[in-house]
Amino acid sequence: MYDSENDDVIIVENLTKKFGENLVLDDVSLRIEEGKTTVVIGPSGCGKTVLVKHFIVLLRPTEGQVFFKNQRIDNLSEKHLNSIRTHYGFLFQEGALFDSFSVAENIMFPILQHYKNVDRKQIEEIVKTKLAMVGLDGFQNFYPANLSGGQKKRVALARAIALNPEIILYDEPTTGLDPIRSDIINEIVLKLQRELGVTTVVVTHDMKSAYKIADRIIMLHNGKIIADGDADHIRNHPHSVVQQFIHGQVGEDELAVLRASGSILQAQFLPRDFEK
Amino acid sequence: MMLATLGGKTVDDVTNMGRFSRFIWQSVVACCQSCLSTKTYPLIWTQMNIIGVRSVPVIMITGAFVGMTLAVQAYDQLAGMGLEEHLGVLINISVVKELGPVLAAVMLAGRIGGALTAELGTMKVTEQLDAVKSMGTDPVLHLVAPRILACMLLTPFLIIYADFMGVMGGFFVSVIQLGINGSAYWNFSASGVELWDVGIGVIKGFFFGAAIASLSCYKGFTCKEGAHGVGQACTEAFVASFISILAIDFALVIIFKAIYSTFWPLKSLV
Repeated sequence: MYDSENDDVIIVENLTKKFGENLVLDDVSLRIEEGKTTVVIGPSGCGKTVLVKHFIVLLRPTEGQVFFKNQRIDNLSEKHLNSIRTHYGFLFQEGALFDSFSVAENIMFPILQHYKNVDRKQIEEIVKTKLAMVGLDGFQNFYPANLSGGQKKRVALARAIALNPEIILYDEPTTGLDPIRSDIINEIVLKLQRELGVTTVVVTHDMKSAYKIADRIIMLHNGKIIADGDADHIRNHPHSVVQQFIHGQVGEDELAVLRASGSILQAQFLPRDFEK
Repeated sequence: MMLATLGGKTVDDVTNMGRFSRFIWQSVVACCQSCLSTKTYPLIWTQMNIIGVRSVPVIMITGAFVGMTLAVQAYDQLAGMGLEEHLGVLINISVVKELGPVLAAVMLAGRIGGALTAELGTMKVTEQLDAVKSMGTDPVLHLVAPRILACMLLTPFLIIYADFMGVMGGFFVSVIQLGINGSAYWNFSASGVELWDVGIGVIKGFFFGAAIASLSCYKGFTCKEGAHGVGQACTEAFVASFISILAIDFALVIIFKAIYSTFWPLKSLV
């Protein structure tokens, strides 16, 4: 269907996703270029995560198609998908570490699942390298409960790159972290992209991080792509929703709602009414 | 309006039924696969330890109380007719055929079923199930199959423990507390309880174990968001396991009775 020279690793065509009656993605078409960092921005609940989960077919489209290296993957059986998914690394929003496993066991998990006959020494060596990549070598015997939020995400990232993926998908990697920890994550994203040459897709609503890491920024709003281009293109985008989002300003409509319901009703009791 | 609600409910139920059937089918395939590959044996061992070994104490306590209560309850009626030495048959046959297996299974549904649903439900809510999938591993093969196999294989053994303690409990109350002649008690028991009776009680364990584990895992996998979702899934898993234990028990009793009367037509008349 596509010529083999094109270097788009992931192609999404006319993707529509509904949860019951709720339309989350509305006829989205998109190509992700190989070796580049693409950042998907948009307000919470606009379907960013849903879109990225389609790239690895953790969710199946209601309508439309998903291609990985010119092979259609949205209609494959789970069994076939399992081998395709080893080309991906996925960093979940909360890390999704297995909490009954130690850090080392978490990273070993995908290796033990997919490589046959590797000896213990080799695996420990791989775990050490992967942890060193995210700057956490020495934390092998910690349990997820004993790690901070940022460390959890870094361990999860080490697990995501355990199988040497070609594509890494990040779901809100900096959400819930302080500015310094966020920047550490940004640096790791850049480092992995530089050193491993992987294709990177990052979902975020942190504009600082988006400007820093992106080769290309896509903005989703109400299930549609409303802006697509490099950082400068987004900065100077004429669309008012884009400008509001990147400057973090509330729209007039939302403000009106807040003002309307913000006053105290006359009939309402307050704590002071019960004081003597 | 009412018709629409009714229709909607029916569609939901049928969809759910379909999903459950697909899940069961996947689990059966995964169970066969994990029996064949030695790689999954450590997982099964771990689950056997959690599900089986650690359930032994509660199961034994359950069994003992069943036997003791039966003895106390039945003694007065039989003693009134001067038949107290027959107490042995009554207690032991009820324990090994029905009460031991069913109550042990109910106990397991509470102990294991709840834990399985809560564990898998939490994994689902915190995206750990998606994480397993995203690393190219089948969560049914990795998480469900070992649990179902462990539960299915060990429930019969746990029932043996429950039976044993039930028999000992009955003996303790009847002979030691109520002073029934010991050798008469055992003689009547031996003549009344056959290997067949013990056997069908134990065989029921396979079915109960499979039902508890598969229902609990399914409820965990389809758990809704949040702490409330996990709690609700646990409740549903226990209720569903309990009802299915009773239903399976009823069906198996009929089947075993039919088999028994086919092979030994005279004995059932005596």
